[in-house]
Amino acid sequence: MQTVTLVPKEQFKISVEGEKISPDNFAGKSADEIGALVAYEGNTPRPLSELFDIKVDGSAETADDVKIEINGNVPRVKRIGESMTGGRILITGDVDMRCGAKMRGGIITIKGNADSWVGQEMTGGEINVQGNAAFYVGAGYRGEPCGMRGGKITVFGNANDFVGEHMCGGEIVIKGNAGIMPGLSNKGGKIVIEGNTTMPGSEMIKGTIIVKGTVENMMPVYQREGIEAVDGVEFTKYVGDVVVGGKGELFVK
Amino acid sequence: MSEMLIKNATVYDPINSVNGDLMDVAVRNGKIVDSVGNSAQIIDAGGRLVYPGGVDAHTHIAGSKVNIGRVMRPEDSRLGIKARTKLTRPYTGYTVPNVYAMGYRYAEMGYTTAFEAAIPILKARHTHEELEEIPIIDKGGLTLFGSNWMVMDAIRENDQDRLAAYVAWGLLASRGWGVKIVNPGGGEAWGFGKNVSGLDDTVPNFEVTPRQIIRNLAEVNEKMNLPHSIHLHCNNLGKPGNYETTLASFDICKDIKASRDRQALHVTHVQFNAWGGNHWGDMESKSDAIADYLNKNDFLTIDMGQLIFGSATTMTADGPVQYANARLLKSRWSNGDVELEDSSGVTPLEYHAQNYVNGIMWAIGLELALLTKDPWQVLMTTDHPNGGPYVNYPQVMTLLMSKKKREEAMSKIAEKTFERTSIAGIDRELDWYDIAIKTRAAHAKVLGIVENGKGHLGVGADADIAIYDIKPDQTDATTEYNRVEAAFRRSAYTIKGGVVVAKDGEITATPMGRTYWVRTKVDNGGYDRMMEDLKLKFRNYYSVNMANYMVQDEYVEHPVVVDTEYK
Repeated sequence: MQTVTLVPKEQFKISVEGEKISPDNFAGKSADEIGALVAYEGNTPRPLSELFDIKVDGSAETADDVKIEINGNVPRVKRIGESMTGGRILITGDVDMRCGAKMRGGIITIKGNADSWVGQEMTGGEINVQGNAAFYVGAGYRGEPCGMRGGKITVFGNANDFVGEHMCGGEIVIKGNAGIMPGLSNKGGKIVIEGNTTMPGSEMIKGTIIVKGTVENMMPVYQREGIEAVDGVEFTKYVGDVVVGGKGELFVK
Repeated sequence: MSEMLIKNATVYDPINSVNGDLMDVAVRNGKIVDSVGNSAQIIDAGGRLVYPGGVDAHTHIAGSKVNIGRVMRPEDSRLGIKARTKLTRPYTGYTVPNVYAMGYRYAEMGYTTAFEAAIPILKARHTHEELEEIPIIDKGGLTLFGSNWMVMDAIRENDQDRLAAYVAWGLLASRGWGVKIVNPGGGEAWGFGKNVSGLDDTVPNFEVTPRQIIRNLAEVNEKMNLPHSIHLHCNNLGKPGNYETTLASFDICKDIKASRDRQALHVTHVQFNAWGGNHWGDMESKSDAIADYLNKNDFLTIDMGQLIFGSATTMTADGPVQYANARLLKSRWSNGDVELEDSSGVTPLEYHAQNYVNGIMWAIGLELALLTKDPWQVLMTTDHPNGGPYVNYPQVMTLLMSKKKREEAMSKIAEKTFERTSIAGIDRELDWYDIAIKTRAAHAKVLGIVENGKGHLGVGADADIAIYDIKPDQTDATTEYNRVEAAFRRSAYTIKGGVVVAKDGEITATPMGRTYWVRTKVDNGGYDRMMEDLKLKFRNYYSVNMANYMVQDEYVEHPVVVDTEYK
């Protein structure tokens, strides 16, 4: 088991591209080797040792045995855990955009808030956001026809607009409220919103959306199918979006 | 005075009938010469393969439609990213790369010349602004005339002098190299939500037929003595059963006498126009009929428009076909109305090996190249980025060179493909000489730029040279296709105008290339009649003023002008 602890040396004012911070890149490396990895701060390449205090305990052969702890707030560090295949990342504060993008395995835990595109296009693994998440949770990046394809994202707070846009698989659970249009153009997967939301499932082709709170505004593109129980609770089931010939299922209390 | 000597080169230079001779190539001041002095820079090719720099006669590398593709496909920009270096700017994109990567990637493959295949006159300024930013390679562009009001008016009134005057003016206004015709008449009909379905269908409001448009432009093209023949994208592209229209389009120009030593007609990306059957369910390859025609007639040339599996961005002045594509594939779609000149459309799509329609298209491109006996008649293209991006040329080259590679590729393609095509039964394998023809010599000849020193290594030619890490006498391309493909992807040396611009697939210098265009003198009264009419068109219909319309010299910083005369 290898534990890597990173402490930011300052509050970064300019965005740092943090895609090197992942168990795959850190596995088996010493503190010096990790410190020599280069991250872009704005347009300036900088070794990680200039940005973080780095401590390494133990060693690991594969990513699965690596645990990364980021102690502190990193609201200006993007792409942490990008494309990771295993292991764990714990962030004690807030994190910037695209945390866990394209991740394939492992677990990321964010104690603070996550910025937009958390779990963008991920295919496996698990992300837990204990605070709030911003826009495009588990969505596809601009132009990408498939967003999240597998794995699970749980947001314990609220999420902003466009949760699971273009989602093709996997599961998103929002314990709080979600902004407008969750599941926009989704083609699969499951979204559970325990709080309230607005206009879910627009242009949904396939997939499932369950809203346990209130839907404030329903898109007039759904066909009512009747009452159906999900996990012992009764919901009204709708099928649509009929405008795009969709067969998605939308459950509303 | 800069001199260079490439020693021990195994040269394939089809225009000068050099077939794998071991020789030295001497260069002085950017041109090939007989010999050089002792102080020349020496590159030892060590018996490796040397070709003239590659020439691409049909590609879409600049202009508003390429830019629309970039805007429309942000996800494409995430592919192929390479950070800037001290020498090169960043690369982005796969099907629609940024302007810098366009030039770098051609040079990395040993290509030194590429011609943009569709410039609407109205968008020509933008096109030249982009061309001027594409590094290294030499460029040129073909101007669209096939659905132009001025063209159709002149044809309806049977006034070829006026037509020639307009074509000459259009080439000047767009700084173009040749006459491109896309779905003749259809672009205009599309402005009214219609299309033309055949060669004798009348264009609404103009009372002319596609047949007349092709015939008149071909005649005028030869009377103007242009370096390139007409460049035709046939009607009914992308529809099963369209091969009959294609064959009939060939016939229109059968008795046209070429004014130069070249073809009288070039028909482009014929892969999309060689389909049999009546609908998608019974679509089949009719490349045998097309190849049969080519084998019996030598007045025309075609290019493949080979399909590459994976992502593509289709872009064409054929607006209606793009609308049909977007509806069929539920894809994004952009449509442009180029005022009095044409229409255009852009649609991203994905070609799948397991889709038999795509499989048939893949097979047709290769069949056209392999069933046609004369290698000079079929150019290798992918109609970048319609059939697939040009970075895949090495893949197509090796598919043509190795039956084993084709069999390997076929094992991944939907089985239904092979009931409708003949690719599985073709044994022909092209050699190094044939590939040199299909990727450079024939392109230069078809475009008419051989006398400008392109596509060959004779004395006086431009010193555009590609050295590949292949020893032809020790390499069997039919079995070692993976190694050959890798060598074609990254040239050992690319030399452009006597400067080493790429070494081992990495850019080493970025000189600016030139832009070729044609100026034709027309002075038998047609010009005045045409200008009168043109001014009226600008006053009544165009959204821009004529003075703000033409490409001025400032937009073409490195021009090469070829003068001709209308007789």
